[in-house]
Amino acid sequence: MSHAAAYDAPDLSDRSIIGTGLSATARLALLVGFVCLAVAVAIGWRSEDPGHVAKVWLQNWLFGLAIALGGLFFVFIQHLTHAGWSVAVRRPAEALMSNLLWLWAGFIPFVVLHLQGRLSIVWPWFDMAAIRSADPAEAALVEAKAGYLNPQFFFIRAAAYFVVWAALAFFFWRNSVAQDSDGSVARSSRMERVAAPATLLFGLSITFASVDWIMGLSPAWFSTIFGVYFFAGCCAAGFSALALVCLRLQAAGYLKGVITAEHYQDIGKLIFAFGIVFWAYIAFSQYMLIWYANIPEENTWYLARQLGEWKWVSAALLLGHFCIPFLFLISRWTKRYKVGLTIGAIWMLAFAWLDLYYLVHPHIPHGLGKHENYAALAAAHADESAHFGDPLNWLMLAGVLGLISGFTLMRLREHPLVCRRDPRLDESLHFHNI
Amino acid sequence: MTTLATPPPQVPLRTAETKRRLWGLIAEFDNPALILQAAERVRHAGYTLWDCHTPFPVHGLDAAMGIRRTILPVLVFMGGLTGATLALVLQVFTNGTALSFWALVWVTGYPFLVSGKPFWSIPAFIPVIFELTVLLSALTAAFGMFFLNGLPRLSHPLFGNRHFLRASDDRFFVSIDARDPNFLRSRTEGLLRSLGARRVEAVEE
Repeated sequence: MSHAAAYDAPDLSDRSIIGTGLSATARLALLVGFVCLAVAVAIGWRSEDPGHVAKVWLQNWLFGLAIALGGLFFVFIQHLTHAGWSVAVRRPAEALMSNLLWLWAGFIPFVVLHLQGRLSIVWPWFDMAAIRSADPAEAALVEAKAGYLNPQFFFIRAAAYFVVWAALAFFFWRNSVAQDSDGSVARSSRMERVAAPATLLFGLSITFASVDWIMGLSPAWFSTIFGVYFFAGCCAAGFSALALVCLRLQAAGYLKGVITAEHYQDIGKLIFAFGIVFWAYIAFSQYMLIWYANIPEENTWYLARQLGEWKWVSAALLLGHFCIPFLFLISRWTKRYKVGLTIGAIWMLAFAWLDLYYLVHPHIPHGLGKHENYAALAAAHADESAHFGDPLNWLMLAGVLGLISGFTLMRLREHPLVCRRDPRLDESLHFHNI
Repeated sequence: MTTLATPPPQVPLRTAETKRRLWGLIAEFDNPALILQAAERVRHAGYTLWDCHTPFPVHGLDAAMGIRRTILPVLVFMGGLTGATLALVLQVFTNGTALSFWALVWVTGYPFLVSGKPFWSIPAFIPVIFELTVLLSALTAAFGMFFLNGLPRLSHPLFGNRHFLRASDDRFFVSIDARDPNFLRSRTEGLLRSLGARRVEAVEE
């Protein structure tokens, strides 16, 4: 390719950056989302294992949340670092982030379960008496946490996370789209100023949210790095979703020459660095300390993940969330070549989902001490199933993905697909990796 | 150094006054736009032993010069792979073998029981594998870059040119090596002058 042909002039005309044509796709996605969720609810309603249904919803809802939180992180980190390169791809990230304005509604089923007094089917510590009768030693560990793990504080915290996330999403979205019409540079400065406390609020909220909703599923267990692990998962999901939204918009004929291979390479680098390498670094750090110390109140969490089918899920994560994408996306050209990045992003999105599946579903069996040795324990739980065949998984996944893409496109349809009057847009359009 | 007011028709490789070998020609330009254009033309004229010298990175210059991508990333990957393998072998040998083998002296591993873990415990090996991978990747990147750039070298004929000092300040230079198969002093000088250079000079070794 010659030098002259490599330069594809950015097209900032309405035809290229106004997404009114997205309406039909958005409506279709929302329809698919709501129908799938409705079918899932109808099936789940008659299920004999409501705890499992609730956990399937928890996992898929967390997947949607991870995508939106990844988008939020992308947006404020660009403001925080005064980044110029990313302006051309910031609007799609803002649209993903805006899902935080409705995702809180996904928590309502858990409120309802609590009002029915049944929330212990998801988070066992809601019923201390049951833990005490099943395993007094475990109960002692959980009771010591009652100052944190109690229903009132749990719901106050959840409300705080939703308020923080929605407020940040609202603030960054509002200022960004208002700048499209008034071109005010002061808005950029204001967003940069807010980005600093936003980082702090974001870090604290997702740390405690992951402790409450995921670590709390095994209340006796603890890991101090857990919030960071969830954050890495959010990056894998959010950045991959961002890459896919950009790629799909361009495939649909939008943003011609606005988003270039240079931007794709940088999004690819972020997926690689945060979603693949950083995730593996944190996952291994957590694993190694627990493996080395090998004390029962910590290692049972990993034990549950190497029984029966779960050992294949663990192995799949090691290979699919790290080894394979590491080798695939390490190269410059796979990140710049659209087909390469599409494959990498879909792959990482799938494994971000599997990562949450692996975090949410396995349960630590009671009475581990009654087995003679590990071999006997593994044999006793050899038929532990990961329930991949359960259609609820796929219906709820389709439901969440339908709603996320639908609401994301609804947002993009109402406003220009690029921050057209951001003072650094020109820098972004002419951005080149050295 | 001699200015080229009257180039001889036949190009001698040694200039008359000093009897020193001609290294090549340099052309000085005022701005990035001129050097981008100059680079395109020099490339199209078929030169291969030439370079551009600018005070800051000029976007598009690599493409204009037709520079292929560096093989450095491949070298770094190999370096990382070597580091990983080395770390694994080192630990497997030292932690896990009681075998002795002859390497001028008797060498033996040192199996040592830690926390009741097996001698060969991959999780315990990973931090060292990680560190050595990073170390050898980084060293390969730094020293590979030096090597591919022909460094270290103590000096370069270009530094003998007084005007060339401004390559690190506000001027843009194209240099063409006299060993280039297409190099013909009169023709090359004519080409450089036609590109809008403010000055074209010969550089001696």
